[in-house]
Amino acid sequence: MTSVNISGIGVWSEQFANWDEFRAVLGGSEAVLGSALKPELIPPKERRRAPQAVKMAIEVMDQACQMATLDPSGVATVFASGMGDMQITDYMCRTLATTPRLVSPTRFHNSVHNASTGYWSIATGSHAPANAVSGYSFSVAIAILEAAVQAIEENIPVLVVVEELEAPQPFKSVCDAELAFAAALLLSPGGAASSPLASMDIKVHRSEVENSAPWRVQGVDYSTNFAAKILPLLIAVAGQDAADLQFPMSRSAALQVSLSMERMSGTVDG
Amino acid sequence: MREAIHERRSGLRRNDLEACDLDTWIGRVANLEEVALPDSLKLLHSRNNQLAWLGLQQDGMLDAIAELRQRIGSDRIGVIMGTSTSSIARTEEAYANLLPSGAMPPEYCQPEVHNLHSPGIFVAEATGLEGPSMTISTACSSSAKVFASAMRWISHGLVDAVLVGGIDSLCMSILYGFNSLELVSPDRCRPFDERRNGINIGESCGYAIIGKEDAIGAVQFSMLGYGESSDAYHMSHPHPDGKGAVLAMSQALDRAGVAADDIDYINLHGTASQANDRIEALALGQLFSDRTLASSTKAWTGHTLGAAGILEAVITLEAMRYGIVPGTLNCDQPDPDFAFHVVQQNVQRRVRYAMTNSFGFGGNNATLVFGQAHD
Repeated sequence: MTSVNISGIGVWSEQFANWDEFRAVLGGSEAVLGSALKPELIPPKERRRAPQAVKMAIEVMDQACQMATLDPSGVATVFASGMGDMQITDYMCRTLATTPRLVSPTRFHNSVHNASTGYWSIATGSHAPANAVSGYSFSVAIAILEAAVQAIEENIPVLVVVEELEAPQPFKSVCDAELAFAAALLLSPGGAASSPLASMDIKVHRSEVENSAPWRVQGVDYSTNFAAKILPLLIAVAGQDAADLQFPMSRSAALQVSLSMERMSGTVDG
Repeated sequence: MREAIHERRSGLRRNDLEACDLDTWIGRVANLEEVALPDSLKLLHSRNNQLAWLGLQQDGMLDAIAELRQRIGSDRIGVIMGTSTSSIARTEEAYANLLPSGAMPPEYCQPEVHNLHSPGIFVAEATGLEGPSMTISTACSSSAKVFASAMRWISHGLVDAVLVGGIDSLCMSILYGFNSLELVSPDRCRPFDERRNGINIGESCGYAIIGKEDAIGAVQFSMLGYGESSDAYHMSHPHPDGKGAVLAMSQALDRAGVAADDIDYINLHGTASQANDRIEALALGQLFSDRTLASSTKAWTGHTLGAAGILEAVITLEAMRYGIVPGTLNCDQPDPDFAFHVVQQNVQRRVRYAMTNSFGFGGNNATLVFGQAHD
């Protein structure tokens, strides 16, 4: 059993630009497509050049640190995506098929899977460890597990971010994500944060599971977005509901997450 | 590889890839295209997975995994692979043959290949390991970081052992990508030489089994420490003072409980790019004296990117096993301005403690420290 606290959350999709909007949409407010995406951590000039995948990640990472009122420079990062930056992969493969010598050097260095954590460390001045991982459709489970183990073993806060872009046409058979989605959790070892939003007991459980999430948010289907598999956890925290959740991590195992709300268990703030 | 290092015979050759017209040298695995995957893995066909399969045949690795699986159970063994570009060469091929509808042709409809976790999926499938499976992709530090995550998983009790590995295979994205950054050399690469003019791209695959002695039995080497850091400077240029590199090496020494002067050999990142070698030498000069021998082995293998971490970890362990420190091949005129001088010729020396560096784009650094078992 591994126990960690959640002390900050960030979330972004084209339907909701942050945690407050996400909660409002869950509560019935009308979601309008076309959320702004202007991560303030990236200077405006660089923001224009930064790929959408990087902007989404930096936006939710910053939101999570702000919610936890934590200086981001001492936080380790774990970025996870099943497919990585499909927009850049699409650009690279199309260019290579026609005019390979015209590949853009900037897009090439932005194509690394750790681009977001690289931009993050530059923007925050952080020399902390940065990781970038993938578990294909199981990326949410492996990312939470990796980050929680790191938080406990190294006794440091770890910012875990999951994201998936809308799939370009050739990738539809691999990952049919309808809308881009990103979320971040700031995890701290148990006892570190004074008033966490929630705490998680997690363990690997041998069983076949289908993630039975409420996959539609006001008509938009998130079930094909690998990163959106984290939605049941966000919905439970938003509703202040203790919950037992399962996230598939292979064909034969699942990550079992037991979520409890500190404030519900009688902890008095202040 | 052992013989090639002892005989100072490079594996690099002039670029002879049909689909690539760049004037450079490459480290290409001979006849890789002819490696046949077993029927049960045929749907996972890609150059990268052919290389992963070829790698599993080396040095009795598949048998060792099967024996361990029998003894401690497949669900107690994790899989962590490191890669920079996964099976992207297969995706590039699919894009060159897209249907008028914009979709991939039917023979390329391989969801478990066209994604970053393809190496993790393939290796778990090929070995029957059922513990947690993850692929790390942090550019050229990827398969050094697999050791760090594996040590945490084991220390936490999540699993009893981890099969770690690293893999990258030749692909157009990397060759033309590095070419666009003007980092590819038209010659054989010359790490730490004053005439160095860029990197050669290579492909490789390697594996190691990590675990506590009571779980994995006969231990050959001790994994003592790791360091992981970020430069916080630039996406494709190392920190000018080598700050991230110094941090990664210092952390690894601290974790290992080994003093800098006790390190007998360091296998360097040493890509033969102008910036990397100058800055890595600067960082070494801040921590090490000339008691420590250091070299780059990139002129044997080329820069194998996401596989460089494990490949060079294996070369480092070979140096420990045979007491032969590889010199820096092709470094005939060492750069006189450097703060630290690499060893040029192979040297016989007992290697008790050794270190290896891997630095990647995004300013992502990882350093590993190994010791002789039972020392």
